[in-house]
Amino acid sequence: MEAYIYNLVNLIAIYAILAVTLNFIMGYAGIYSLAHAVFFGLGAYVAAWVALHVHPSIFVTLAAAMASAAALSLLLALPALRVRGEYFVAASLGLQVLAVTVFSEWKSFTGGIGGVLAIPPADVFGVEVFKPQHFAIVSLIALIVVIGLINALVHSSFGRNLRAIRDSESAAASFGKNVPMIKTLSVVISAALAAVAGALYASYMSFINVESFTLDTSVLVMAMVIIGGTGTVAGPIVGAALLMLLPSAISWIDFLPQTEVGALQQIIYGLGMTLLMIFRPGGIVGRRAGV
Amino acid sequence: MSKAFTIMGAFAACVCYAMPAAAADHTIGALFPLSGPNAVYGDVFMAGSDLAVEHINADHMLSGPMSIAYEDSQGLPQPAVVGMTKLVNVTGVPYTLSAFTGVSKAISTLAMRNSVIAVNGGGVGPDLADLGEYFWNVIPLANLEVRAAVPYLVESLGLKKIALIYVDDPLGQALKDELETEMPKAGGELVDSFSVPTSAQQFSGVAAQVRATGADAVYVASYGNQQLQIVKQLRDNGVDAQIATYSGYAVPDALALPESEGMIITGQSVDFSSEDPVTKRFVDEFKAKYDRDPTAYNVNYYNATLLYGILAAALEADGTAITGEALLAKRRATKSFDLVGGTVSFQDNGTLLFPIEVKQIKGGRAEAVTSVSFN
Amino acid sequence: MLAIQLAITGLQTGALYALTAVGFSLIFGSTRIFHFAHGATFVIAAYLFYWVYGTGWGLVPGVLAATLGAVFFGLVLDRLVYVPIQRHEGSFFTVFVASFGVGIAVQNVIGMIFGRGFTSVSTPLSRSAEIIPGVYVSPLAWIAMLCTALLLGGLHFFLRRTHTGAALRALADDPELVRTFGLNPRRIAATAFVVGSALVVPAAIITSATTGLNPTIGHHVMLISLAATIVGGIGSIPGTMLAGLLLGLAESLALLVVDSQWTEAVTFAILFAFIVIRPSGLLGRVVAH
Repeated sequence: MEAYIYNLVNLIAIYAILAVTLNFIMGYAGIYSLAHAVFFGLGAYVAAWVALHVHPSIFVTLAAAMASAAALSLLLALPALRVRGEYFVAASLGLQVLAVTVFSEWKSFTGGIGGVLAIPPADVFGVEVFKPQHFAIVSLIALIVVIGLINALVHSSFGRNLRAIRDSESAAASFGKNVPMIKTLSVVISAALAAVAGALYASYMSFINVESFTLDTSVLVMAMVIIGGTGTVAGPIVGAALLMLLPSAISWIDFLPQTEVGALQQIIYGLGMTLLMIFRPGGIVGRRAGV
Repeated sequence: MSKAFTIMGAFAACVCYAMPAAAADHTIGALFPLSGPNAVYGDVFMAGSDLAVEHINADHMLSGPMSIAYEDSQGLPQPAVVGMTKLVNVTGVPYTLSAFTGVSKAISTLAMRNSVIAVNGGGVGPDLADLGEYFWNVIPLANLEVRAAVPYLVESLGLKKIALIYVDDPLGQALKDELETEMPKAGGELVDSFSVPTSAQQFSGVAAQVRATGADAVYVASYGNQQLQIVKQLRDNGVDAQIATYSGYAVPDALALPESEGMIITGQSVDFSSEDPVTKRFVDEFKAKYDRDPTAYNVNYYNATLLYGILAAALEADGTAITGEALLAKRRATKSFDLVGGTVSFQDNGTLLFPIEVKQIKGGRAEAVTSVSFN
Repeated sequence: MLAIQLAITGLQTGALYALTAVGFSLIFGSTRIFHFAHGATFVIAAYLFYWVYGTGWGLVPGVLAATLGAVFFGLVLDRLVYVPIQRHEGSFFTVFVASFGVGIAVQNVIGMIFGRGFTSVSTPLSRSAEIIPGVYVSPLAWIAMLCTALLLGGLHFFLRRTHTGAALRALADDPELVRTFGLNPRRIAATAFVVGSALVVPAAIITSATTGLNPTIGHHVMLISLAATIVGGIGSIPGTMLAGLLLGLAESLALLVVDSQWTEAVTFAILFAFIVIRPSGLLGRVVAH
């Protein structure tokens, strides 16, 4: 029983990191990306590869994961951020689909659909951490660090610039802000921190494959941010917890056949997103509509 | 912020109450595709395993009632790992049924690290034989199927050039490797192979490429709905060559497809008309319960479940606790088992040898053409 | 020979893509609403046709059911979801998310009703005939290409020569100005949804007989529609149709060079390239940043 709870805590922490980092660009910078799972996946694959072939120390894997995600996001943010919002959504969609194909085909690195097996457990200062209750300490610390970093950024002048850009790009530009640079930097930070979640995920599950990094995952994380509340601190965490607990809550309903749990979960968060957008676009934690 | 915590707290409380009640005396796990595009296989597998549970409980084989905790793998590795984690950490099973090559490979590490037996009765990827001592296979693997099919196609039917369409995942890749090795041995040639992504449903382009190779026969290595679409679209697009496939095609929808007529299909050879008591009881009661003939998949999951019953009963008689390690030791110590299909023995690597039947699909049913034994 | 066959297959796929995308393009171009649930409209139309035709009611009732279902869904969505949102905030993303949510919900409801496996409508029209040695084309392919041509002509006439069409183009140009002419932008937008949703029906029906149906195809439909709309140029119907044809061709011809896993990636690589290099698309108006 405790193992179940700790398992949930770990997964919630990992997805909360993803939600918090997506919220950084969506809620504060106004950049809507459907490709967050790409950086999650890249972080996971790099961490797995490094753990298997170089050293399983979590600091090494985290560093490698973050560096690779930052590099990839840089390559892609630079051209894509020069266009308007809806085009960026479409571009991120395109990137996500492309990435899934690459993940499925680059078998020497990702194992294709077969995935990467037998990933060594995280090595923290020489101690192997894999039991759910111990790993929970690692994942929660990581979450707190990420939240702290993001918060610090949001409250700094960088964060103010971001919000200025979100509210009106042309106004911000007329004040002399280097809009493309700031947007690019925010995407890079968001991607690098999402890769942290990926590295944690790889060592915790000891098996990863492309199915965890598809468009469905990007959508799930986006739903977490939106339902929780964009542009708030608690919003993404609430959203992550809620959506991760949803399947368990649904399986409580006795008369529902096992096979429909997944469908019902998706219906709930699909309709949830829609209803929230109509009545409360600020999400659960955010402001009421029209306020 | 406090509102957020209230919500989280409420949900956590709900989760606590949602926890499953204390398990029945004997619980084993099963990771089947219960939803998603491969759910049809889940139904087929469950038909076999559920019947075995009924028989085990009716015979009072074990000290307490037995049940199976089903988890939905959707036929995909990732959800399977989640399900396996739950089976191992929460439900605490010593033994679980597994299906699909990709799924089995994914959970094998968890099985080994936690000393839980995993038994496969549906996946046929040849590397399933190398997943460690805790992973057993009651189904003959695809390398045996290809080794039976190829001589028949090349020598008996005179089809020397084969083209392959395979799904791009561990199973498809394994079948491709097998064909590449076996075709030259029999005097034929694998002229070209075309991989398709697991989600593809449109094959007119691939069909055109197959036509361009001029092959006498086409081998289809896919599963679920995709394999049906491949066969249908091959025929729709003017490919008249002989089509051959492996046991994954033996599902009702595929057999009933008009375009399947004349296809060569291999599979585990089970003598359903045998008089031995285990087989006879299985066949009669299966027909009575489900109003149709059983297939090899039903047999395998019946056997996999029955195997647990036999081993656990023996351990209880010895007074040993039922754990994965004890089950493994017991299996190694037992010379043979009376399962559906006859008396069989496990090889050292945890696989069972069954003869392979080569069949042809006629009028929606697979009729045996020849049988090949491996010893 | 193989190249010619793949080109023809590509045109058939492209024709379907064009038919699918044109409805989305009309809606998005006129109302600027990112109607992501367009994929759901497609799924609803396709499954309604499959159900009605499959239970033996025949072709015409099937087409009717599909059209009515699609139009009803589009209108309901506009009335109940987009209008309330636009009333208080209407930011592009809010609308997108709401639409997306509906799309997911519909996909799963259809999955619960019809099952998650692939189903298709059996018809002899999908069987190819050899028209020249080595090249096979099925009657459905001709039908698809014919529909595309007819629709292109029909839409051109509708948009250029009728009052409603002019109103739609006016809405695309400037919603506020439309009001000064005494027209109601809301009602025009609703018209866009009616026409745009109905346009999905031919593609839905042909797809049900060729590729087959599955509740998740809505996603794929949406991606293609988006890609074709952007590559063709937002606001340009001929652009979208042209882009659809080109994307289908590219996907098919790519088989000459790469394995079939990469064909979907080819579509998105093209989309990505256009967004970065030429966001106005093939025939669209230049986009201000």
